[in-house]
Amino acid sequence: MSNPALSLILDTAVAAYSDAKPLMTGGHDPKRNGFNLQQLELHAESSVDPYFTLQTNIVFAQFGVEVEEMYAESMALPAGLQIKAGQFLTAFGRINPTHLHSWNFADQPLMIGKFFGSEGSRGLGAQLGWLLPLPWYVELKASATDAVGACCARSLLGGNDLPVRSPGDVAYTANLKTFVPFDEDWSLSISASGQAGPNASGNGNRSEIVGGDLYLRFRPAGDPERRHLSLQMEHAVRARQVPGRSLVDQAGYAQLIGMFALRWEAGLRTEWTTGVADDPLDPEWNASRQRHSAQLTFYPSHFSRVRLQGTLDRPAWRAEPIWGAVLAFEALIGAHGSHGF
Amino acid sequence: MKRSLVWPALLWATTLVASPAQALQVVATLPSLAALAREVAGSYAAVECLLSPRQDPHYADARPNLILSLHRADLLVVNGLELEVGWLPGLARQARNPKIQTGAAGYFDASMAVLRLQVPGQVDRAMGDIHPGGNPHFHLDPRAAAHIAVALGKSLSTLDPAHAAEYAKNASVLSARLRALAAEIAQRFAALPEAERRLAVYHDSLVYLVDWLHLKQVIAVEPRPGIPPDPGHLAKVVATVRTTGARALVQEEYYPRAASDQVAKLTGMRVAVVAGGPQFSANQRYEDYVRGVAKTLYEALHGGP
Repeated sequence: MSNPALSLILDTAVAAYSDAKPLMTGGHDPKRNGFNLQQLELHAESSVDPYFTLQTNIVFAQFGVEVEEMYAESMALPAGLQIKAGQFLTAFGRINPTHLHSWNFADQPLMIGKFFGSEGSRGLGAQLGWLLPLPWYVELKASATDAVGACCARSLLGGNDLPVRSPGDVAYTANLKTFVPFDEDWSLSISASGQAGPNASGNGNRSEIVGGDLYLRFRPAGDPERRHLSLQMEHAVRARQVPGRSLVDQAGYAQLIGMFALRWEAGLRTEWTTGVADDPLDPEWNASRQRHSAQLTFYPSHFSRVRLQGTLDRPAWRAEPIWGAVLAFEALIGAHGSHGF
Repeated sequence: MKRSLVWPALLWATTLVASPAQALQVVATLPSLAALAREVAGSYAAVECLLSPRQDPHYADARPNLILSLHRADLLVVNGLELEVGWLPGLARQARNPKIQTGAAGYFDASMAVLRLQVPGQVDRAMGDIHPGGNPHFHLDPRAAAHIAVALGKSLSTLDPAHAAEYAKNASVLSARLRALAAEIAQRFAALPEAERRLAVYHDSLVYLVDWLHLKQVIAVEPRPGIPPDPGHLAKVVATVRTTGARALVQEEYYPRAASDQVAKLTGMRVAVVAGGPQFSANQRYEDYVRGVAKTLYEALHGGP
């Protein structure tokens, strides 16, 4: 019997920030001056039988192991349906359901860190996907997952591991996505997402996050240099009920990524977040913050990359902006499945 | 505003009405495979191709609209030997179509029907983007295509027994024509003197063609598959071409030209650029595509217009 496809991905970086505490929000961001192990990811996937596949993503840090994702997915349900069950990243927006390995920057967007947590929105639960019976691609995904974890549900119950007493005590996430191939070269993907669940302020108070994203891609199909240019944007609004009021803030980013020659990529990203003054649920992030990044990446082959990234971070609650420079290296061995669009 | 919704809605309704009665849906990854499938299937199946001949099948985008094609397919025809590994597996998983998953009756791996070349004894990524099952670029060899046509006929017959006789006949007629074509072109190349049988390639994608036409490949511009040349390797290519007297440098149109042109300029050899496959959407037949490639190659080796 054949083994599952196994791969190991090493992400490591050397970083220099103008502040010893650079306020990085991603669990695998280069967080400190000097050498950083971002992660060693062990990915395994295979068919279980004709009905299911199993995928696992186990992430090793220097002194610990974490099961990032582990889920079975159906292959043979009728009517365009597909079920995923286990622990998985929820289908909110474009970046959240993906891993560091397929990101265009060395760190996680602030929007993910602020609204979902250092690991992004994920949980134990189940997701139903439906490929709508339309002549063009439209997919609806809806999931129910546990609403706990400081890493993965910080707008919901966060670190408060409260018991589930009713169906309202878990997190619900939905995403509706469509894709428009204008021609062989140009295409556009847009989606809308929403998440709702209980929050940590008690009394049945709830949090809701609503977001939209777009991905516009130009890749001349016959170009021997495999050049392409893509614009990706996400924006989300969050509302959290607390006793006596509702806290509303926003976050998003826009990035422009260009593969300008064989093996060479460059990117620009700007991020924005607002904050709520005297935010009882997020006391350390109660004002606006902007961050701007630029990167240059060289891919020696399909299986390795070297990325130089510069960052200017402007949290309103700091007197000085934080400058950062990161040199990140990634190497992949083994059989790694193809990535989504 | 209301009126703008009427047409899309009608269009959708017609597809709902029209779809149940449709013939077998065949989806092929490469234009060569799609063109072969179209001839074997005749009028009993609708054949769709996922990639255009302009696209390098190693590096296609996993566009979500392809999920829809895979979702509706009764038969998926792939090249295999991991040529499509960078984009197809994820799409096939999302297609939620058990009929076309690996091992199912509707999954056709063309590489299973051909005699494979360059099956490496040992595989290591330091060797570049090596395909462990063998070199996957057999689509240009009509002898391989003849085997594929016969195997396709069998697969279609299994899926649609009512038309089994027609598929078998189509496959048999096509494979006979392809073998005749292979012999005819090989005969023309056999007349070339030894000095005109040597060629260089950009990517190692012509080994089946070289084997078929008894040519000799002296070197590849890529030092290892998938790795672009550095100046040191280009110098070696130039030296090898000079030593061997290779006449032509052959590459598909989706590979970069700069390095090849530079080698040609320094050595006086010709660069022969061939299409990545037949113009399937313009109904070009596989045989006409192969004839075109052979003509380009012959002229580059022998001299001519």
